Amino acid sequence: MVGANGESRYAPAPPKPSDPDGFCFHSPHPEVFSGQARHHHRHSHQNMASLKLQPADQKVLPKAKKTGTTICGLICHREGCVVLGADTRATSEAIIADKNCSKIHYLAPNIYCCGAGTAADTEHVTQLISSNLKLLRLNSGRQSRVDVACVLLKRHLFPYQGYVSAALVLGGVDFTGPHIYQVWPHGSTDSLDYVTMGSGSMAAMSMFESRYSHDLTLDQCKDLVHDAVLAGIFNDEGSGSNVDITIIERNKPAQILRNMDTPNTRLHPMRFQMPLKNTVVLREFIELHEAAPVAPAAVPAPAKKAEDEERAAMPLE
Amino acid sequence: MFQNKSEYDRSVNSFSPEGRLFQVEYAIEAIKLGSTALAIQVAEGVLLAVEKRITSTLLEPASIDKIMQIDTHIGAAMSGLSADGRSLVETARVETTNHRFNYGEAMTVETCTQAICNVCLKFGDSKSKMSRPYGVALLVAGVDEEGPALFHTDPSGAYVRVQVKAVGAASDGAQTALNEEYNKSMRRGEVEDLAAKTLKAVMEDAVTPTNIEFAWVDAGTRVFHAYTPAEVEVILARLAAQPAAE
Amino acid sequence: MLTPAVAPIEAKKKEWSPYTDNGGTTLAIAGPDYAIVAADTRLSNGYSISCRDVTKLAQLTQHCVIGTAGMQADRAVFHKLLRTRVDYFKYKYGKTITPTALAQMIANILYGHRFFPYYCFNVVGGLDAQGHGVVFSYDAVGSYQALPYATTGSGAQLLEPLLDSHIAQRNRTQKNPPMSKDEAIAFVKNAMASVSERDIHTGDFLEIAVITREGTQIITREADGVERIKLGFD
Repeated sequence: MVGANGESRYAPAPPKPSDPDGFCFHSPHPEVFSGQARHHHRHSHQNMASLKLQPADQKVLPKAKKTGTTICGLICHREGCVVLGADTRATSEAIIADKNCSKIHYLAPNIYCCGAGTAADTEHVTQLISSNLKLLRLNSGRQSRVDVACVLLKRHLFPYQGYVSAALVLGGVDFTGPHIYQVWPHGSTDSLDYVTMGSGSMAAMSMFESRYSHDLTLDQCKDLVHDAVLAGIFNDEGSGSNVDITIIERNKPAQILRNMDTPNTRLHPMRFQMPLKNTVVLREFIELHEAAPVAPAAVPAPAKKAEDEERAAMPLE
Repeated sequence: MFQNKSEYDRSVNSFSPEGRLFQVEYAIEAIKLGSTALAIQVAEGVLLAVEKRITSTLLEPASIDKIMQIDTHIGAAMSGLSADGRSLVETARVETTNHRFNYGEAMTVETCTQAICNVCLKFGDSKSKMSRPYGVALLVAGVDEEGPALFHTDPSGAYVRVQVKAVGAASDGAQTALNEEYNKSMRRGEVEDLAAKTLKAVMEDAVTPTNIEFAWVDAGTRVFHAYTPAEVEVILARLAAQPAAE
Repeated sequence: MLTPAVAPIEAKKKEWSPYTDNGGTTLAIAGPDYAIVAADTRLSNGYSISCRDVTKLAQLTQHCVIGTAGMQADRAVFHKLLRTRVDYFKYKYGKTITPTALAQMIANILYGHRFFPYYCFNVVGGLDAQGHGVVFSYDAVGSYQALPYATTGSGAQLLEPLLDSHIAQRNRTQKNPPMSKDEAIAFVKNAMASVSERDIHTGDFLEIAVITREGTQIITREADGVERIKLGFD
């Protein structure tokens, strides 16, 4: 479903100096990661192993919403920026669960990440890494680096052996320049000029392979990403509905072009008429209760909400 | 193969130089020895009537079956070798039952007749059960979605659709009598009377409720009904009460 | 002590299956003096679209149409077999097979393959001897039933409650009269477009066979005669 498992990988680009090696990365603030790391160690894989051994008919996993998906991203070398694209279909088996979901997730003001796979995994992983990046920024007072986001992602995904089903296209611009990473659910990553993921990755890559070049302008890059997502929308049944695009340029707020194209509006518009008060009532009864005790004068707002507001008020950088 | 012309009739599957199949022709001749059977089709339905030759007072008349039901809406009267007739009716029953199984609806009378005639042709080779032609003529009567229908088959496997038909020993006389009096718009009672009168005229023995047999397939209900001796008696009584013509 | 060499435990390979589900949705409605059989034209293979314009309908007689969801190859062979059986019926019995007889015949053919079934989920629509619409719905092994409306295929679960509500008008205090032919055609377009909004295997184009006393018309284009009847392409 994810379109990531077992599919052929595209030829990786020659390694760049900025390609991170997760195991050599030394954080100046190890305490930032420590909580997360402990969490990893507490996690037991025994449950997963036993799950595998169970006969098929005894599997008890609930069906998860998947984003059978077309996501892609590319680097515009000419203008030093990145363009990310995604469709907006979420599926549960063959049923479309959401016709206009959002698959380009915020990681940092200069870093966004497209997610394919199990919706819960892509959403939570990106939220978690977004939080950790924020903590890093608060601790370091520096802009987040794309390779750091990549390392955080792969460090999270690898211990779960692919069970955290998130296939990601990570893109952003930092002081070293524009970067696009392909992140696989098992935790391997590739740094490439142009990347596609999800069930529509083949369709999208067909556009990239035939049209990508280092000389493209930003507008051409945007068109190419748009067409790549459209190729997925129309040729992959796991992808559909609308095109979302996010453009990240250096020292500029990211351009979030949500639903920048909506090529699949409803055909034969609904004309189903349901007259009012036309439902058969089988039984009707009214139960009388004694008056309830007087309610407390004011319900205090949940603490969480206040916390949220506080957070929102905080500057991002 | 054959030394002279007269020997061609020894084979069931060789034409004579004149283009005749003698054994089939002889089988048709055998029918003329059979007891008389007749059938009349009108708008209201189809009547089958046969003579039963009770050769001995010790013979149980009810054990002679010259009219047999094929399906709810089809029946057949026979003349000739009744054993062959019974065998053909048996295959017709299988065909109509299969048709109901395959299509959930009744077979038409013509298709049923066709099925019978297909069997009539299966003789003489090593694969078929029959070594000789079937020596029987059938009058297949029934009602389908097109209305009442009557067919006549002979041992050659040919069949024709008819309004009235008499077969058997007295077929010539009976056919002439029927042709004279038949009218498409006759009512059921009139048809019964005509059949009884014709049988009475051509039979050597006096007609009784046990030596003739009647059956009616009604156009309205599409149901085959074989008359009981009591019902036949009513017809005969009616016939006796009529003033004798001429 | 020697330890005997143990052969590595090979992962049990998934056995090859002769069946694939090519998706698609069929819909049939029996009206007072008409019957409608409709289906989309998408042919899916997993998440791929093998073809956007493959018919799932087959007109078998002047007054009878079958719609088949399931596996495309089986559908093609099954429709071909039915066509020969319909022709043979005419030769043998001297008349055109009725939808009711055809319905029984189809059930027999399907049950005849009880242990290696055609991967076909059929609906049959036609007119009975009185000129009333009839619809039959099947499973793959020949269980069938005459119904006022039926749907099979990948979008059937989505369509069924809509039909219950708008055709059977379940749980309504006031029931509308049965839909006219034109109302039914408009309803079918709406209903199938709704399915293509939510079922990934249903889409591209819609074909509607309308059976009346005058005969069968298979509608593939909008009123202007140029545009195909479109469903979702995504």
